[in-house]
Amino acid sequence: MVVFLRDLLRYRAEFRIGLVLVAIVLVLSMLASFSPYPPDSVYVVPPDLPPSSTYWFGTTSRGQDVFWQVSFAIRNTLLFGGTVALVSRLLALAVGLISGYKGGWIDRALMSVNDTFIVIPLLPILVLFYFVMRDRISWLMLALIMACFGWAYDARLIRSVVMSLRHREFTQTSLFSGMSTWQILTEEHLPYVVPILFSTTMNNMVWSIGLEVTLAVLGFTDINTPTIGGMIYWANQHTAMVAGIWWWIAFPTIAVIMAFIGLFLLAVSVNAHIDPRSRLWSTGEAS
Amino acid sequence: MNDLLLDVREVSKTFVRGRLLSREKIVAVNKVSLQLAARRPEILAIIGESGSGKTTLARMILNMETPTSGRLLLDGTDLATINGSAGRLAFMHRVQPIFQNPFESFNPLKRVERYLLMTRLRFAGTAGGSTTAEAVDAALHKVGLSLREVSGRHPHELSGGQLQRVAIARALLAEPKLIVADEPVSMIDASLRMSIVNLFRTLRDELGISIIYVTHDLATAYYISDRIMIMQKGSVVESGDARDVLKAPRHPYTYQLREAVLLPEVANVSANATSSMNGLISPGTPERRA
Amino acid sequence: MLASVAQPHGDQDVQPLLVVRDLQAYYRTSHAGVRRGIRAVDGVSFTVRRGEIYGLAGESSSGKTTLIKSIAGAIKPPLEIVGGSMEFAFLPGYGGLHRAPRAMVERIRWRHLSYIMQGSMNVLNPVRRIGSSFIDFAYPHIGGSRKQFEQQVVAHLARVRLDPSVLSAFPHELSGGMRQRATLALATICRPGFIIADEPTTALDVVVQKEVLGMIRGIQRETGSSVLFVTHDMGVHAHITDRLAIMYAGRLVEEAATAEIFGNPLHPYTKNLISSLPRIGEDAPRTGLGGAPPNLADPPSGCRFHPRCPLASEICSRKVPVMREARSGHRVACFAVNGDDPA
Repeated sequence: MVVFLRDLLRYRAEFRIGLVLVAIVLVLSMLASFSPYPPDSVYVVPPDLPPSSTYWFGTTSRGQDVFWQVSFAIRNTLLFGGTVALVSRLLALAVGLISGYKGGWIDRALMSVNDTFIVIPLLPILVLFYFVMRDRISWLMLALIMACFGWAYDARLIRSVVMSLRHREFTQTSLFSGMSTWQILTEEHLPYVVPILFSTTMNNMVWSIGLEVTLAVLGFTDINTPTIGGMIYWANQHTAMVAGIWWWIAFPTIAVIMAFIGLFLLAVSVNAHIDPRSRLWSTGEAS
Repeated sequence: MNDLLLDVREVSKTFVRGRLLSREKIVAVNKVSLQLAARRPEILAIIGESGSGKTTLARMILNMETPTSGRLLLDGTDLATINGSAGRLAFMHRVQPIFQNPFESFNPLKRVERYLLMTRLRFAGTAGGSTTAEAVDAALHKVGLSLREVSGRHPHELSGGQLQRVAIARALLAEPKLIVADEPVSMIDASLRMSIVNLFRTLRDELGISIIYVTHDLATAYYISDRIMIMQKGSVVESGDARDVLKAPRHPYTYQLREAVLLPEVANVSANATSSMNGLISPGTPERRA
Repeated sequence: MLASVAQPHGDQDVQPLLVVRDLQAYYRTSHAGVRRGIRAVDGVSFTVRRGEIYGLAGESSSGKTTLIKSIAGAIKPPLEIVGGSMEFAFLPGYGGLHRAPRAMVERIRWRHLSYIMQGSMNVLNPVRRIGSSFIDFAYPHIGGSRKQFEQQVVAHLARVRLDPSVLSAFPHELSGGMRQRATLALATICRPGFIIADEPTTALDVVVQKEVLGMIRGIQRETGSSVLFVTHDMGVHAHITDRLAIMYAGRLVEEAATAEIFGNPLHPYTKNLISSLPRIGEDAPRTGLGGAPPNLADPPSGCRFHPRCPLASEICSRKVPVMREARSGHRVACFAVNGDDPA
């Protein structure tokens, strides 16, 4: 793993840039623990001040320090994206592996469920949930709902890989070596699926964060937990752009774009590097 | 105690290709029967070209494919009745496969000894006493390798010949009575091929293992097998003692196959190959694709 | 008889079609910081004469595929030509296709040089009908009216016993044998002087294989082309080639008329290769060679065959044996045959 990361750092410029961007965003989010103000209290600082040496990112019309607000917001947003990615990866992995390896009616049943989730339009469903649940919708619940919709496409991807692995001779060797289905899936096939898992994790986070921001801007989430989308929502409520309080919108936007680009670059570079074909390529073909 | 190790009774396998409208039935194996005696180990060669159904037959014997009709009995147990992991393990304890491509037989991302150790752990039966590593080493010695040469190696670090030996050693660790080898030497370099082929003979003579050798190569089949079975388009066209059949073929297809073997010698330099081939295949007849 | 094989047309003054001199082709890889050089072809020299089928035999890691790629000019990193030259009669002065200008190579392909490969799908476009492939590749070189061209194609297909109806078929609609015959027709319709055949019959069933080999031979006799015929199958070589070179671990070890190689092999590797082949009707035990083919990233010193050689002596691990004429027209690289010649 150490060697792997070192190689990535040395040979992939995208990875270096991505890592720097994600690191900045992560440090910013971790600073939230040191905030002098609780995230949800208002009028703790003088309102509408532009960025200065005291208030680096300025202050909002609600009397909050933008720097600490961005810090809380990006932490919550990343946490949200991470939760969605984790839960949906587990679902995708379970369905993809079982469906691809077992085939037959199990595959058909799982894939019909899978395809249903692919075609259901997500945004109206989320809005519907909001109108039904109103204030009871917490960020965790939203994350779980989104995870339920974020696995289907990747499960198909994993399934197709496992299906081709199932027909390779080494799977038969494993079977005739007395390995159980669980062993074959986790020990023989999983290494081929991991690269997909890696790259889709990043892509999934970008997708879920984007969607969360969209919903929050429209006011369809729990606006009292500060997230990037929530900040922009409040800024719009106070017509920040018209009032010239540009820093209220600019800094959260910059933070989330950095997170997007960083995650995207990591996904691309890890994907290219971890591909078993390129790993095996180093064995040479001399014939 | 059963007299027959393997009893294949009139098995057929039909594949259906295409969807609803353009359904096409392909008879891969058509009412094939064969028997192997329990007490007398032998090497049976199943010979055929691509599309002859030889691989499908081998896969049915390995219980990797279920026959459309007919029955396969191993030591008196119908393969169709095997279910549950205990039943499957008992089956694999008696029958083991060797595959065509040694580089594909092991996961390229894993070390090869993993499969040897796993097989030993799962099937450790009669030998007892010795540790897993000792048993694996002993099995590798039977194929002319040792654990020291193999351990820690990934498949790409071994040659095709070595890998095929490891594959055979792995099969031996299950202490099978029957090995089904599908084209086991067709991807092995010529200079290593004969030592693998000779190894099959040793397994038969010294370990009493019966071997079903599936191949398209008449010369190696003649060299190692006791009995051969020639398949064409799913059916057996001729079978019997290997020497009798190949020296004096009765069926025209067997004759045609034997005549098509290119001998590794230059009989007559001026002889033009074209003339001798005229008329063997009528022009324009599309050979059926499998 | 032997002399007639060595010089199929009796005129040795004519310039040979291809002269390969001391060719070195290496794979240079740098993956994850580890630099490796695989010396897949390391000092190979040979000559393909006009109107002969020159066979090249070797195992999977012998470098024969690399040699073919180099001659065909298909050189992409990590493969590099490190030294030596390949001089074609129809491309004088360049020392290989890879050094010639692109436009010139385009003109030469199909007209002077064509290929028949193992997977005919490489040549035949899977989504185009066979007839379209003929128009794409051959028409620009033959020219004339479309009608004339079509007649020519139909006449040529008859040589490989294919019905004109295959022209309107897609490649996947044909059987392996028919596809390979179509590829053969495509490769020979421009009557090229030189054909590279890389395992052209390996994927075919035995009966079809013999038929396709007969056709290659027939067309070659008719057009007087030279063929460089590569396969690992000694039976195929015995059947079709005029002269035969044996390659081992990136170097040639023996070269002679095919009948001479099979009748009187000199190199211990060749000897084993031929004697280990089983034959129907012979029951004598055969033995393979011990050991394994060498790793070309780290080949043995001296003669690369010495770790597996029954005749190896001390000098074999120190010095590299050179190809030397042991008998007329029979070159071999072995100290046990040639003796330790300081020159």
